[in-house]
Amino acid sequence: MGKSITISGVFIYLRLVQEPFRDRSKLWWIVLGVILGGTIALVASLIILAARSSSGLGIPVVVGTILFGVSMLVVGLFRTLLIRQGTFSPRIGTLFLVGITCLLGVITIPVSIFILPAGWFDLWTVFVMGGVAIGIILLFLYSRYSWLKERGSPGLLTITGFLMVLAIIYMTVISYWIVPYDPADINVGPILWPPHPGFPLGTTSLGQDLLSRTIAGGGIMLQVAFLSVLICFFVGVPLGLLSSFRGGTLDRVLSLIMDAIFAFPGLILAIAIAAMLGPGVINMALAIAVVYIPSYFRVLRSQVLTIKELPYVEAAKALGARDRDTMLGYVLPNALPSIIVVMSINFADAVLTAAGLTFVGLGLPIDVADWGWDLTFGWHQLITGAWWVITFPGIMIVLLALGFTLVGEGLNEILTPMLKE
Amino acid sequence: MPNLLEIHNLSVEYKTRLGIARAVDNVSITLDENKTLGLAGESGCGKSTLGRAIIRLVPYPGRILEGEILLNLDEDVPYENGVVEKGQINLLQLDDDQMRALRGKKLAYIFQDPMTSLNPMERIGKHFVEIIKAHEPDTPKEDAQVRTKDLLEALDILPERVLDYPHQFSGGMRQRVMIGLGLTLTPQLLIADEPTTSLDVIVEAQILNLISDLKDKFNLTMMLITHNLGVLAETADSIAIMYTGRIMEIAPTEALFESPQHPYTQALLQSVPDVRKPDRKLSWIPGSPPSLTEPIPGCMFRPRCPHAMEICEMEPPPLIKSASGGIVACYLYEGS
Repeated sequence: MGKSITISGVFIYLRLVQEPFRDRSKLWWIVLGVILGGTIALVASLIILAARSSSGLGIPVVVGTILFGVSMLVVGLFRTLLIRQGTFSPRIGTLFLVGITCLLGVITIPVSIFILPAGWFDLWTVFVMGGVAIGIILLFLYSRYSWLKERGSPGLLTITGFLMVLAIIYMTVISYWIVPYDPADINVGPILWPPHPGFPLGTTSLGQDLLSRTIAGGGIMLQVAFLSVLICFFVGVPLGLLSSFRGGTLDRVLSLIMDAIFAFPGLILAIAIAAMLGPGVINMALAIAVVYIPSYFRVLRSQVLTIKELPYVEAAKALGARDRDTMLGYVLPNALPSIIVVMSINFADAVLTAAGLTFVGLGLPIDVADWGWDLTFGWHQLITGAWWVITFPGIMIVLLALGFTLVGEGLNEILTPMLKE
Repeated sequence: MPNLLEIHNLSVEYKTRLGIARAVDNVSITLDENKTLGLAGESGCGKSTLGRAIIRLVPYPGRILEGEILLNLDEDVPYENGVVEKGQINLLQLDDDQMRALRGKKLAYIFQDPMTSLNPMERIGKHFVEIIKAHEPDTPKEDAQVRTKDLLEALDILPERVLDYPHQFSGGMRQRVMIGLGLTLTPQLLIADEPTTSLDVIVEAQILNLISDLKDKFNLTMMLITHNLGVLAETADSIAIMYTGRIMEIAPTEALFESPQHPYTQALLQSVPDVRKPDRKLSWIPGSPPSLTEPIPGCMFRPRCPHAMEICEMEPPPLIKSASGGIVACYLYEGS
């Protein structure tokens, strides 16, 4: 950002845009306060949880990851400074950041070995992953807050969404070390008790601690959601782009296949595929991906069909652009915002579909802590008045889906230069 | 030394639902180096199609039927699999790769609508760097950026604005950017397809001035397509009048305005207001052009022509030398 401020055109634009925001700055401070307060509350509750965790290593894990995150933040600030001084080019700066992060990861190895020789690799992974999650949160808050704030509400939506998702990721990563009870253990407490001091969120019908299950239950769901979105993106987008750009027989055949998949109701198709492939994270992700690839394909195809006829694509051709230049430089970036919206919807939907798959018993074995499982069991207990069993995992799913949706919604507006103003 | 551009008997057809429309019918034009040819006519007469045919980007469902487009290249143009050799080449015989290498490098095309001719997701500077990179892949990025800034300066745009997006520019500025993009690699031939149509008169005058300045600076040969005869009066060296895909008259600009030969040219000029004759009533041409899918035999202008004769129904009049120093396609001048 430092560079562009020296440019008069952009400078004028920044000044112009900042004026109305100055009036609303109170609101921005409130939002910042809410975000920071939420983060602090989250960290505080993590530390409280960690203090009474079953593993006995909760405090080192939480403190370690937060230290890791803070050192990432410091390295990030150092990098910004060096880039501003001109010592590093941005690319070298990014390499520097990644390198130092890796180095930190290596340094934590002896720490985890000395603290817990038995499961040191697990602990080390958690240190690094959780630390990176915290580091990203901190860096994001520090260096991107002012930048995104200028974009107005979309920027704020993006921040909020990112923070929600990252917080849930962090919680999931360190969950094993901070839960008060093993989430898979049955009969750790009385059966089906409402929330009370010993078990803050109550217990399930198998006598499991619901708090532990709520903290730990996101792992599978997150993996499935991320994997399926990745698969969808890297299959759906190239197919849609190629098919609509080339047209002809390829387009007809692919459209036909996609329409055929589209004709099935999503969840039922996912159930059928999951039943065929069997349970497991990757199979669930595949089942969900198959259901969502057509929506990427369809959206991208219709966008590309419009965009490739636009004058700027033709102008590029008239100035000697190759097909791949126009396809990747002109058509794809202009179609991408709509794909990002589909992505966020896909993310949210994948979370819900994964819960649905687990709900019908095609997801996971019984002893894995998963929000979808708790919904399945809680559903039967709801009749007896046990509302807590489905409420807390349900809220977590809603929060995760909401986070993804907010990110998608905000990114869509930020990535389109025209909508910036 | 051959002419820079020679078009011989070019025909372009559109296959439509209603039949085959011949948008460019047996057109022959020659264009000297450093001259501007104005191409005028009413909407749908094939002037844009002719321009597109030269860069071989006739929009679907059009196709070039026959003819020759000869361009006199002043240097070898390298492309992926070899070199297009200098000298006179027939553009219609080049393959797609060779043609792509010439577009932007030797042939530039400026489109009608500046508002949508730039990629909204890319900064202005990147447009320039891209075109330089596409044709001269070995150019370092820094050099390309310096060249971009020089060009923008020549176009009266602050060089700092390379970091801005197209939507932050006004229509006139965008059209200047488009012209700059066309001139980045100093092409030999610039085809401007109604470059000022969507701009207001003041900006139009600016752009036209700019074009004529740049023409001298870059030693350009231009083809200016427009339906505005006033624009041509200012900028063109000679003017070609088109009607239903055929050339009706070509004459030096002054001669065309002083003594129009073809009845269609005369009618066109009478429908343009003239400040020197404020009392004159504007006239219009009765009727409308015949459908291109159902061409009538003979001269296409016959149904609207005040001088229509029997011979006009037989076959299209050939282009003959006219009294004003150009050529004209009309039987009125057959004898003289």
